Amino acid sequence: MSENKPSRRGFLNIILGGGALATLGSILYPVVQYVVPPAAGEARLSQLKLPFARPDIEADPKKAKYFKYGRELGIIILTESGELKALTATCTHLDCTVQHRPDLGIIWCSCHNGRYGLDGRNISGPPPKPLATFAVNEVDGTIFVSLEEA
Amino acid sequence: MKNIRLLLLLLVVLTASAALTTAQINNCLTCHQDFEDEETGPSHLIVRDIHIQKGLGCADCHGGDPSLEDMDEVRESRDWRGVPSHLEVPDFCSRCHGSASYMHEHNPSLPTDQLAKYRTSIHGQRLFSNKDTKMANCISCHGTHQIGSARTPHSTTHPLNLAQTCANCHADAEHMADYDIPTDQFEKYRQSVHGKALLERKDLGAPVCNDCHGNHGAAPPGVASLSFVCGNCHAIEAELFNASPHRTAFEENDFPMCETCHSNHLIEQPFDKMLGAAEPALCINCHAEDDGTRGLATAAAMSQAVEKLATAYDEARTSLEDVIARGMMTTDEEFRLKEVQQLLVATRRQTHAVAADTVDSIAEAGYRKANEVRTNSAALVDEYYFRRKGLGLATLFITVLVVALWVYIRRIEK
Repeated sequence: MSENKPSRRGFLNIILGGGALATLGSILYPVVQYVVPPAAGEARLSQLKLPFARPDIEADPKKAKYFKYGRELGIIILTESGELKALTATCTHLDCTVQHRPDLGIIWCSCHNGRYGLDGRNISGPPPKPLATFAVNEVDGTIFVSLEEA
Repeated sequence: MKNIRLLLLLLVVLTASAALTTAQINNCLTCHQDFEDEETGPSHLIVRDIHIQKGLGCADCHGGDPSLEDMDEVRESRDWRGVPSHLEVPDFCSRCHGSASYMHEHNPSLPTDQLAKYRTSIHGQRLFSNKDTKMANCISCHGTHQIGSARTPHSTTHPLNLAQTCANCHADAEHMADYDIPTDQFEKYRQSVHGKALLERKDLGAPVCNDCHGNHGAAPPGVASLSFVCGNCHAIEAELFNASPHRTAFEENDFPMCETCHSNHLIEQPFDKMLGAAEPALCINCHAEDDGTRGLATAAAMSQAVEKLATAYDEARTSLEDVIARGMMTTDEEFRLKEVQQLLVATRRQTHAVAADTVDSIAEAGYRKANEVRTNSAALVDEYYFRRKGLGLATLFITVLVVALWVYIRRIEK
């Protein structure tokens, strides 16, 4: 009987130690998962650094590049005067993706010929509202955009 | 000197007040409002009329001296024009609306060519040449005493009201009995993709009668101009069509461009089966296996590409919806699915060029992205189950620990 005692206690110790370790693991795993950033984060952004620079936009035939800003698709364009302008790229009519038309000097939606000025104002066709604009900051060749409050 | 100044001031005040009194006298309303019905009488309705709101009075259209009190005297007073006949209405309105200098004082942005355009319309031609008084003139569409800018909701020419305004005559079988045209345009328009967008979804960007037919110069668009009319909104489709071999073929056969496949007033939401080499595809209406063209083969190839992408899009969307319902983070995949949708739109649009290879290359890009969405959604579902299993395991560990602790404490107590 006395020989059994240490083994039972030992067994209980193993259960306790193992249980404590597993519990610690189940607590630590989500904590570590939380701390390690995911492949692409849910963006509730105040500012976004674009993964390309002015020469990339300049090299594009339409002088424009698209970027992802949280759940929004944005378009940044290079105007004739060399200014960078960024706007939401989703047409306010039926959600098609708009494009820059340097030949016409407008932002154009090909779905129903909706037209916006380079400042995002809806100027002709069906779009009922302007495109939202991003503030653009170029610092040492890096472009930062932030959605301006309506 | 002081007296002269006072005298001048008095003179100015008297002249101004006299002018004001004359301008404000409108005896027309004083009498007409007395005996006209409050609901239907012109003198009561006119408060909503844009002319009154701009400061004009009854006499500006009907003539006569509004300061007079006796109607017989009014009829004999200056510029009395009274009520114009149906034939006289266009010139009656154009007296001001055709005068650039007059309109410049009241609404400089308003065109002054309405009468000139009206003379080119079917309405104007038949009114002036045939003296056909069943033809619409200005007031048939704009009304008489509640005329409003097309931007005001009560106006008969506001986009939401315009189809009904045209239908007042064009859907009236009795009114249209003498003319060899159908009377079901309004009914068809209401069921069309444009009618539903405008009348049900209140999308003011959707076209109504005048966007295709013109307004003052209203006429059916000719066969040649049809692609321009539709191309005002469907610009890329028109561009692709005009560069396609169909352009010449349609011209040679006198087929109206867009209308041949999409109809006119009853333009339905296009569906993928419209394209292909078998029923219910429209391509077989003109093409046959042995017609010496690659028509049916191209149609079949394009249809296959569109359907493949449309199916992949639907499957990707369903798999993503499943992930969203499980509460997983899906921003990236939602974004990617939107790209697939845009590529599906572009693929369908590209069919207007009737070149299977370009349709296929766009569809293939969309197909690849749709597959990415599906694969990533499946991975997210796996991740969801992994988390659930992890939670179950952690609960088990904790339970065992608690039980062991309880047993241990009891042993110590013993």
